[in-house]
Amino acid sequence: MLEQRFSWKAAAWLGLLYAGLIVLPLLLSYSQREIAVFLLISVLLVVSYRLLTLTGEWSLAHVVIMGAGAYTSALLSKRLGVPIPLSMLLGACAAALIAYLLSFPLFRMKGFYFLIGSFAAGEIIRLLWKRFREPFGGPKGIKLIPNLPEIEIGPLYIDFFEPQVYYYFCLFVVSISIWIMYRLERSPIGLTFHAIHWQDNLAESVGVNTRRFRTMAFVIASFFAGLSGSLLAHYVGTINPNSFDVAEMVYVLTWAIVGGTATIYGPIMGAVVLTVINEIFLRELGFDQLRPLFYGVIMIAAVMFLPKGLESLVPKVGALLSRRKASGDAAKTAES
Amino acid sequence: MLDLLLQTAFNALYAASFMALVAVGLVMIFGVMGIINFAHGELYMVGAYCVVAFYADLNMPFFLAVTLGLVFVGMIGIVMEWGLFRPMRDNPLGGLVVSIGFLLILQALAVLAFGVRAEHIPPPTQVVLQPFGEGGAVMPLQRLYVILATVVLLSALWWFLRRTRFGWALRACAQDPDAAALQGISFTQTARIAMFIGAGLAGVAGALTAPLVRIAPLMGHSVIVTAFIIIIVGGIGSLEGAVVAAVLYAFVHTFVTTFSDGVIADIVGLSLMLVVLIVRPTGLFGTKERA
Amino acid sequence: MPILSVESLTMRFGGLVAVNELSFQVEAGEIRGLIGPNGAGKTTTFNAISGFYSPTSGRILFKGEPVSGLRMSAVAEKGLVRTFQHATLFQEFSLLDNVLVGCHLHHRPGLVASVLGTDRAQRRQMREKALEALEFFGLAERKDVLAGELPHGLQRALGMAVALAAEPEVLLLDEPFTGMNPEETRQMMELMLKIQKRGITLLLVEHDMQAVMGLCNYITVLNFGCLLVEGTPEEIRKDPQVIEAYLGAPGHAA
Repeated sequence: MLEQRFSWKAAAWLGLLYAGLIVLPLLLSYSQREIAVFLLISVLLVVSYRLLTLTGEWSLAHVVIMGAGAYTSALLSKRLGVPIPLSMLLGACAAALIAYLLSFPLFRMKGFYFLIGSFAAGEIIRLLWKRFREPFGGPKGIKLIPNLPEIEIGPLYIDFFEPQVYYYFCLFVVSISIWIMYRLERSPIGLTFHAIHWQDNLAESVGVNTRRFRTMAFVIASFFAGLSGSLLAHYVGTINPNSFDVAEMVYVLTWAIVGGTATIYGPIMGAVVLTVINEIFLRELGFDQLRPLFYGVIMIAAVMFLPKGLESLVPKVGALLSRRKASGDAAKTAES
Repeated sequence: MLDLLLQTAFNALYAASFMALVAVGLVMIFGVMGIINFAHGELYMVGAYCVVAFYADLNMPFFLAVTLGLVFVGMIGIVMEWGLFRPMRDNPLGGLVVSIGFLLILQALAVLAFGVRAEHIPPPTQVVLQPFGEGGAVMPLQRLYVILATVVLLSALWWFLRRTRFGWALRACAQDPDAAALQGISFTQTARIAMFIGAGLAGVAGALTAPLVRIAPLMGHSVIVTAFIIIIVGGIGSLEGAVVAAVLYAFVHTFVTTFSDGVIADIVGLSLMLVVLIVRPTGLFGTKERA
Repeated sequence: MPILSVESLTMRFGGLVAVNELSFQVEAGEIRGLIGPNGAGKTTTFNAISGFYSPTSGRILFKGEPVSGLRMSAVAEKGLVRTFQHATLFQEFSLLDNVLVGCHLHHRPGLVASVLGTDRAQRRQMREKALEALEFFGLAERKDVLAGELPHGLQRALGMAVALAAEPEVLLLDEPFTGMNPEETRQMMELMLKIQKRGITLLLVEHDMQAVMGLCNYITVLNFGCLLVEGTPEEIRKDPQVIEAYLGAPGHAA
């Protein structure tokens, strides 16, 4: 797991992927670019969720934690005039801090109890936003959240309200965040996370403070969830308690389950595939109200027929391709 | 002040009864299947829509509509057992996920059938009892029906579980499915009955309260949250605990709502659940753990 | 000074007293056996020493320092590491990764170093240590095999390799011979003598009398949660109390 070798092949694939991602907005319509922005934010959210599940605990508070980042960044920039990239970082830190505080009650629980405990804690936070008009704005939330200031350098004019511009900004932030999480998983710390998942007693017996590492995973995951919330808040300009309710959590859960959580690309595949299907087929065809039905059917079908997620198809497809190539080569040599 | 207290107590008693029905159903399902049914709030919602369809739209007698609601939602329970939970045996996380998936499907179907707008249906009886005279605390007869129906249903359930062979089989399966199989008890058969009863109780709770609440496709959310609080506080496998916790929670929630506000009451309820989870995860009355 | 001393340890579960006022001491460098008939409280004692349970009363001193009530990882950090019964391993990990987790205590990089990869030298050291531990148990060639695919006897050895990678001063072994055939038992005994030669003290809870008698320098016998006798294997073999405890009182035997 800790083996790390530079591979030209992987680098080439990654380069190709990023070339595609950079060209992508040029091929899309205005509204599709907006969807691409939301998709990037969702990818960050679901990858951070996977980091949390590495230690074996599934939380139902992740979207609320994302909201904590959104509320913090929005309030700091709107009320106190904190410059925006900084307020985003502070939002992420606030989400991490809340996760740290929640870890004290929550990590006395495990498994189902943790799940339900995290749900209760998340709902309490959300209800506090709803109850307290000052400073959270009550049920109506916060409106007119400022975005990044425009930049004007000579002929160059950058307006972050343009989805395309915000797309590149998000791509940058999300890429760095995923890179950090990826590196972390490939480090001895990541190995420890996995160890806790499979055999927490054995890990504890060789000196791994499982409580501490569970907390660490929870806090780091929450930091990036908070960051994704900040990215969202400044783009849409308005947030309220319902933006972060349990229905949203169910979507994140579905992405993770449909994609699979064994690899870092699994949940990304889940989020991308479901969002694309959702936006292209349901919205374009005018079946928007069917979104829950669609997600419900997909969730059940995934658990029943693809329990290891879309990611489990990747090696199969790879094997299929290389076999075809091999047999093609064999045919060529046979001919000659 | 005394009147206000009495009135709040009346309201709490009413809340306790339908909450107990929902929570006992949830515990029944958990006891036998080992799965927490996240779609339980939606079963309640379907029960309420049964009354909309049969009573308000088709003009059937209220009592018949409620009975149909119980049977219809009970049948949904049997379908869930067959299509969702049976393939997910020994996979609690999978069971949780399919029940969330099913919840979304039920919500979407309700939207398709009845639209997103909330519905109100007139109660079959407008009579309001005033046991303490003019100006005293009031008890609408419709609410009294809910309380009485709950007492009848839960007593019947108790009799069924203690006095019949089915009840014995049910308890045996809840305690140890393998040992029950050795006794010649069919797990599938038992699970089907448990799902029928568990879902049916949620459905009948929805049907009974339908004339008293706003009926909407998303109404299940607050119901399932309440039911979770109750079964955690009562101890996750305990039917008696669920009833006691329902009464306890209903009183706390109703009194806080009356003397503060609804959101604070929700916060208090959730905090109660968190505290129980931290201090005594087996619940106040629970003894066994299966999660 | 004894390296490990148990002082009037009592473990109560509800109304049941599993261990009652138990005291004994383990000297540095020995192989100590903790034996007793079923239900004598061996495993409970073992779990209390390793920090898996917190004692109801009494305490456990490691090099004169109290360790009772600490969590298992803290006890391990002091140098007291346990193994588990059966094949408790990271079944989904390669052998090397299993042992790398064992190296945790002696390689704890910061978050930033982990992400930036500036801990490369440390990681190499960790890997070398893990390979060395695998070598010690003759498992180095299979370092990339998944632990779950290993034959049963070797899984036990891997469990010890994981524990040894944590560089313990005292190694606590929970029924290391259970389910082994005589040949495997013999190999395991050799391994334990090799571990002892490294200056590590061993305390093992065991049911297999043959292995215990042939291996341990000193034996502590428990019965009904109390200390019955202590002595060298020869003394224990002849002790009428021990024979009675294992075979049942003469009156009950019929």
